[in-house]
Amino acid sequence: MKNFFRIARWEYMTRFRSRSFLFSTFILPMLFSLLITLPAFFLTYEEEVSTKLIGVVNLGERSLVTNLQKQLNKNFRLKNGTPEYVVMPVSVDNSPDYKKAHSELQTMQARMDSITQAYNAIKDLRVQYYNRRNLPNKNYLLQKTYDEMVETRELKDLIEIELETHQAQLDSVFNSEARRAADSLLFKQVLNAYLVIPEDIEDNSVIEYHTYTPGNLLEAERLHAVLNEIIIEARMANANINTRQISEWLEPVQLKKYQLRARGEQEWNFYVEFYGSIIGVVLLFMAIFTSGGFLFSSVLQEKTNRVIEVLLSYASSRQIMAGKIFGLGFLGLTQVLIWLGIAALFVFLNLFQAGQIPYLNWDNALYFLLYFCLGYLLYAAIFVSIGAVFSSEQEAQQINLVLRTLAILPVLLVFLLLKEPNSGIIQVLTYIPLLTPYFMIMRISQQGALALQADIYITTVILVVSIIGMVFVAAKIFRMGILMYGKKLNWKEIKLLLKTS
Amino acid sequence: MLEVKELRKAFNENQVLDSLSFRVKPGEIFSLLGPNGAGKTTTIRILMNILRADEGEILYNGEPRSKVSQRKFGYLPEERGLYQRATVLALLTYFGTLNNMSRHRAEIEAIRFLDRMGLVEYTEKMVNELSKGMQQKIQFIASTLHAPEILILDEPFAGLDPVNQIVLREIIRQYQEEGKIIILSTHQMDEVEKLSDHICLINQGRVILDGKMEEIKKQYREDAYYIEAEDDLGFLHEMEDIEILEEKNKSCKIAIKNMNGDFKKIISKLFSRATVKKFYMVEPNLHDIFIKLIQKDNSQASK
Ligand SMILES: Nc1ncnc2c1ncn2[C@@H]1O[C@H](COP(=O)(O)OP(=O)(O)O)[C@@H](O)[C@H]1O
Ligand SMILES: [Mg+2]
Repeated sequence: MKNFFRIARWEYMTRFRSRSFLFSTFILPMLFSLLITLPAFFLTYEEEVSTKLIGVVNLGERSLVTNLQKQLNKNFRLKNGTPEYVVMPVSVDNSPDYKKAHSELQTMQARMDSITQAYNAIKDLRVQYYNRRNLPNKNYLLQKTYDEMVETRELKDLIEIELETHQAQLDSVFNSEARRAADSLLFKQVLNAYLVIPEDIEDNSVIEYHTYTPGNLLEAERLHAVLNEIIIEARMANANINTRQISEWLEPVQLKKYQLRARGEQEWNFYVEFYGSIIGVVLLFMAIFTSGGFLFSSVLQEKTNRVIEVLLSYASSRQIMAGKIFGLGFLGLTQVLIWLGIAALFVFLNLFQAGQIPYLNWDNALYFLLYFCLGYLLYAAIFVSIGAVFSSEQEAQQINLVLRTLAILPVLLVFLLLKEPNSGIIQVLTYIPLLTPYFMIMRISQQGALALQADIYITTVILVVSIIGMVFVAAKIFRMGILMYGKKLNWKEIKLLLKTS
Repeated sequence: MLEVKELRKAFNENQVLDSLSFRVKPGEIFSLLGPNGAGKTTTIRILMNILRADEGEILYNGEPRSKVSQRKFGYLPEERGLYQRATVLALLTYFGTLNNMSRHRAEIEAIRFLDRMGLVEYTEKMVNELSKGMQQKIQFIASTLHAPEILILDEPFAGLDPVNQIVLREIIRQYQEEGKIIILSTHQMDEVEKLSDHICLINQGRVILDGKMEEIKKQYREDAYYIEAEDDLGFLHEMEDIEILEEKNKSCKIAIKNMNGDFKKIISKLFSRATVKKFYMVEPNLHDIFIKLIQKDNSQASK
C-alpha cells in the first residue's frame, strides 16, 4: 500500500515539474480562450462602429422607403448618435435596358397624350355642335364627328393597352436591373444587404432579404421587426385609421430572456452561454487529456525503457497501475484547481462579473471536479490498457495520434449539438460513458444544475459502474501487457487473457 | 537457504521451464548457466515474483516465496532501464523508498554506493547524461541499495568494460563474505569460472548439471597434461598410449589414453627424452564442458 503512494508521488512530482505540464496548464488554455473570444470581440466591435447601408429595390409605394428609414433611425443608433442603418433605394438610371424601356414608355405616353387630346377636342366639338340650334347640316356634322370620335376612342384604347404592356415591361426591367445593380453593390460590399419590396405588399407579405450573411440573426430580426411595423402601419392607414393611434398600437413588445437557475433568475446572454459551454468542455478535455496523455506515455516509456521490470520487482502490477492512475489524476486535479483558482481570482479582481456569468459559481466548480474525476478515471483505465498493449515507441506515437483524434470527437459532437440542448439525442448521448463528462458539463453550463439533478445522479452511477468494469479489464491487460517485450499483444491473446486470468 | 522445487512454466504451448530444481546456500555465488532461451530469465522472474510459475514451489529458509517480503530481494534485470529524465540521486532515492527505506537513508546509501563505484560526481546529473556503462552501474546500485539478503543478477557483466567487470566482481565477493545469497545468470563462462562456486547448467528449461565448481571440474577432468620443455617434443608422436591434443614448438598438451597402462613408464620415458620445464595436469575448461553437455543434451532431445 505504501508503494502505491510512493509511485503516485513519483509520477506526480516528475510530471508536475515538466514543461509540458506548465504549457498545458497555463499557455494552452490562454491561447484557446484568446482564439475563441477574439473573433467574438471583433464582431461586436465592428457592429458598434460602422453604419450599415441597406439597399432597397422598391416595387411598391415610395413612402415605404422613407418610413423604413424613419423607423430604423428611431430604433437603432450608434454610440455616437448617428443612425446605424441607412436605407438606399437602388438606382437603375444608368442601365441601358432600363433607359430604352423608359424612353419607349415615354414615346408611348406622348402618343397617349396626343390621342387623348385629339379625343377630347372631338368631344368638345361635338358638344358645341349639339348646343348650336340653328346649325346647318347639324345632323350630318353630329354623325360625322360621332364616327370620328368612335374611331379615335378605339385607337386610344389600343394605345392604352400598349402603354400598359410597356409599363409592365418597364417594371420587369426595373425589377431585374435593380436586382442586378443591388447584387453588384452587395458584391462590392457597398451594401450590407438589400431588400426587395414587392409591388403588392398590401396583399403579398413577402419581402426578400439578400445578404452574404443570412445567418446573422440579429440583423435579420431587427429588419424584420421594423418592416413588419411599417407595413402593418401602411395597411391600417389605407383603411383610414388615425396614424398617431396606429403607432401607439404598434409599440412593439420586448421579449427579455430569463432562464431558471439554481440561484434565482438570471438574464440570458447568448455569448456568455455559448462560449461558456465551449470553454468548459474544452477545458475538461484538456484536463483529461493532459494527465491521460502523461499516463499513457508513462506506461509506454516504462515498457520501452524496461523500468517496469525494476518496479515490478518492488511492487505489484496493481500497485503500479493504481499509483500511476492516482498520481497523475492528482496532477490533473491540481491543474483543474489552478484553473478554478484563476477564475476565482479574476472574479475577485472584477475582471469578470460573476453576476453576469451565471455558471461561474461554486456548485458548478464542484460539478466540474466531479466530472473531471469520473471522466479521467474512465479514460485513464483505457489509456493504461492501450499503453500496456503496445510496445514500440513508434507504434506508440501512431496510436497516440489516433487516440487524440478520436478523443476530440466527443468535443466536436458537443459543439454540433450545442444549438439544441434540449433535444432527445443529447439526452441519449449523455448516457454514453465516454461522452458523459463532456455532455454533462455542456448541459450544466447551459441549463443549470438544478434542471439536471436526475441526470447528475444517473450519469454518476453510469460512470462509476463503467469505471469499475474498465479498471478491472485494464488491470488484467496491464499485468500481462507490461511484460511483453518487443511484440505486442494481438486480439486473440487479449481475449484469451481476459477469459483466463 | 533458497530452494527451488520442480518449477514448471509454459508460455502458451511453449514449455519454457520443465521441472527445474536447485538450492542455493548463503555465502555461495550461484550461477545459472545456459544458452540463450534456456529459461534463465524466466526462472529469475519467477524468483522475483514477477511471473507466476505454473507448478512448483520456492522456499526461502523453509518459508514459501509468497510469504517472504519483497524487500529481502534485490534484482538487476537483464534488460536494463532507468528513467532518463531524472537525476541519479532522485532515481536511486525513489527505488530505495520503494523498498521501504526512509528518504534520508536512501539518499545516504545512494551516495555511499556512488562513491564506491566512483560515480559520486554524477549524483545530481541527469541519467541521460551518463554513459551506458555508468547507467549500468547505477542500475546495479538500485538493485542493492536496500541491502537485500538475496541478490539476483541477470547477466550482470553484459556490456561492462573489463575494469568495471572487476569492480563488480569485487562487490559481489563482498556480498558473499557477508553471507548473502547471490544468484547470477550468464552465458559468459570465463566470468563464472572466476567468480562462482556453485553452478547450475540449464538447457531447454531442464537442469543438466548442478554442483560445486571444483567437483564439476574434477568430474570432467579429461586426464590432460601440459608439458613444456627445452627440447623439441617431436618424439611424442612416436609414443604409444598418448594422444596429442595441442602442439606447439616446445610445448604440448597431451592426453594419456590408457590410464590402466603403466603411467609411471610413460612419465619416465617422457622425462628421459627431454628436459622438462613444466608439467602439470590441465584443469577442464568450463566452456568446453558447457558446450559438450549442451550438444549432448540437444542431440538426445532430438532423438
Ligand atoms: N513473456 C513471454 N511470453 C512468451 N514467451 C516468452 C516470454 N518470456 C520468455 N519467453 C520464452 O521463453 C524462453 C526462455 O526465455 P528466457 O527465460 O528469457 O531465456 P534466457 O534468459 O535463458 O535467455 C524463450 O524461448 C522465450 O522466447
Ligand atoms: Mg535471459
